[in-house]
Amino acid sequence: MSVAVALVAFFGVSIFTLDSLFRSLADRSLAELLDAQMLALIAAAEPDQEGGIGSGAANFEVRLQTPGSGLYAEIRQRDGISLWRSPSMAGTFLEFRSSLRPGERHLDFVTTGRGERLAVARRGISWDRAGHIPHQLVFTVASSMAAYDQQLQRFRRQLIGGFLAIGFLLVATLALLLRWVMSPLGRLEREIGAVEAGQSAALSGGYPRELDGVANNLNTLLESERRRIARYRDTLGNLAHSLKTPLAVIRTSLQGLGDRAAVIQTEAQRMTGIIEHHLRRAATSGGQAIVRTLVTVLPVCLELKSALRKVHRAKDLLIEIEVSPALQFLGDRDDLLELVGNLLDNACKWSRSRVRVSANLRSDPAPRNLQLLVEDDGAGIAAEQQERVLGRGQRADETVPGHGLGLAMVCDTVALYGGTIEISRSVLGGARVELHLPGRDAGAVSGAIIRPDRT
Amino acid sequence: MRLLIVEDEPVLRTQLQQRFADAGFNVDVAVDGAEGLYSGSEFPIDVAVIDLGLPKLNGLELIRKLRATRKSFPILILTARSRWQDKVEGLQAGADDYVAKPFEFEELLARVQALLRRSGGWASATLKCGPVQLDTRQQSVTINDTAIELTTFEYRLLEHMMLRAGDVISKTELTDRLYEQDFERDSNTIEVFIARLRRKLDPDDTLKPIETLRGRGYRFCLPRDPV
Repeated sequence: MSVAVALVAFFGVSIFTLDSLFRSLADRSLAELLDAQMLALIAAAEPDQEGGIGSGAANFEVRLQTPGSGLYAEIRQRDGISLWRSPSMAGTFLEFRSSLRPGERHLDFVTTGRGERLAVARRGISWDRAGHIPHQLVFTVASSMAAYDQQLQRFRRQLIGGFLAIGFLLVATLALLLRWVMSPLGRLEREIGAVEAGQSAALSGGYPRELDGVANNLNTLLESERRRIARYRDTLGNLAHSLKTPLAVIRTSLQGLGDRAAVIQTEAQRMTGIIEHHLRRAATSGGQAIVRTLVTVLPVCLELKSALRKVHRAKDLLIEIEVSPALQFLGDRDDLLELVGNLLDNACKWSRSRVRVSANLRSDPAPRNLQLLVEDDGAGIAAEQQERVLGRGQRADETVPGHGLGLAMVCDTVALYGGTIEISRSVLGGARVELHLPGRDAGAVSGAIIRPDRT
Repeated sequence: MRLLIVEDEPVLRTQLQQRFADAGFNVDVAVDGAEGLYSGSEFPIDVAVIDLGLPKLNGLELIRKLRATRKSFPILILTARSRWQDKVEGLQAGADDYVAKPFEFEELLARVQALLRRSGGWASATLKCGPVQLDTRQQSVTINDTAIELTTFEYRLLEHMMLRAGDVISKTELTDRLYEQDFERDSNTIEVFIARLRRKLDPDDTLKPIETLRGRGYRFCLPRDPV
């Protein structure tokens, strides 16, 4: 855009300069032409029999003889008496009056009554006659400017046409050049977008030399940031784990020691709660864009199903997984495993014989478009219990693990992803926990139709 | 019941050893993975409690190695790592259940007992064979709803036999699993206890709950009640 403005300004100045240059050249050549005619007129002037002055100029200049030819000449006395008019002036009603003194010259432009533009050159001459007072005469030569105007217009047309063509070519070339130069930048932008969306882990190579450094630096930054987050999570995880064994020792030692130990027992339980809440929360990635990946939901569900069937083997459970293999969760695999693991474990605990996990892609906006449902056929959660179970309205680190349904952690993680959680009654008869999380359908992206898997 | 505890934290290990012994288990302990593998492979273990973060051989590897040598006793993971990733890995490696630290001992005990029942093919905490009913939580025995007084050792013997009701159990196995490791071993003692148990369960000698298979061992022969 700015290029176009600069181009227009530059072309404007160029056209104006060239035009005025051409005009001054044309003016000069017109003046020279008139001058030559004038000299011829003067040279051919001669006294006639009646004591006046005639001119033989018409004899060699055809245009002076042809009426309305556009070239006219006249000789007048300074007092206005016309001595000679070229035959071309016949019927033109032209009058070239002037009172120039001998030796004076004048060039001006007039428009005739018929709209013809004329360039008029006049010159005052003192005409010596033997034995008489010298005549003071004014010679006039006028030339139509039609040809001049035509030439000027043709020149302008060509000038503007030429510049338009050049301008068009320039803009086209510039656009092509810009596209070529900018295309790696566009690719860079797309790839950064893909990294943000969790679709790829790093930028690909093959950038031009100028951008290669930037891409490499970005990759290094991504990698170091990922490693930093991983280290941070590991450290917090290890801290949490190493605190738990001493806590287990304390709690086991206190059992059976009576009332005096009750306070310590309570505090130890609180500490456990704090570890569970804060350290786990800190160790949860919570879908920070940089560590997000696309996690296929089905394998996570199947893995948990086989693990939980083992744990709840005594119950002879039917665990149904209705999840399309194309559904993907946009986030951290560990987080998804935690979410589904906790919900499925609860469902298995409370169910009588049937548990169902299903997932769907919904039209809800981005961070909540993946719907995850975990249902069971147990007693369900009463409406007045739901708020408490979700740990709302109380300090999360005060919830005692084991007393709730382990849902506090689920709530925390869901919140970190900007998702939502809802509890209601399932058609199976028991609880129905519904999560909304960021996700996408790989099948929809690739255009494949994949039916939900019922296992 | 012979229980193997593999835990590297000395205080916790001692506590667990004490509490499980109090609950009537014959407890073996191992301080690291390598020792756990030795005990698990060499002794007739009924159930194992294994910590995941172990020196020398980590818990997951230990479980895999035990399972690779066809040891099928139930294994419970005791872990400070409460993330599902760790639980799933442990269960995939061959463990049967997990308890996250810190824990209530009662819960751990209940889970271990549930594993034992399950490995014996029992679904609930109460084992019923005809008129004989054994409650593993209360550690009580009734016959036709009449309570029977048993000593700790008699109870452990009966529990072991009822858990595996229908199976032939050798005298050596009973000795190995019911006595402390360094106990004076004498197979006659088992015969004495079996005789006492028979008298208490079946004073009229009509029920005949325990069968003697000469040279092979004993069998609790009352049919299990269908679940």
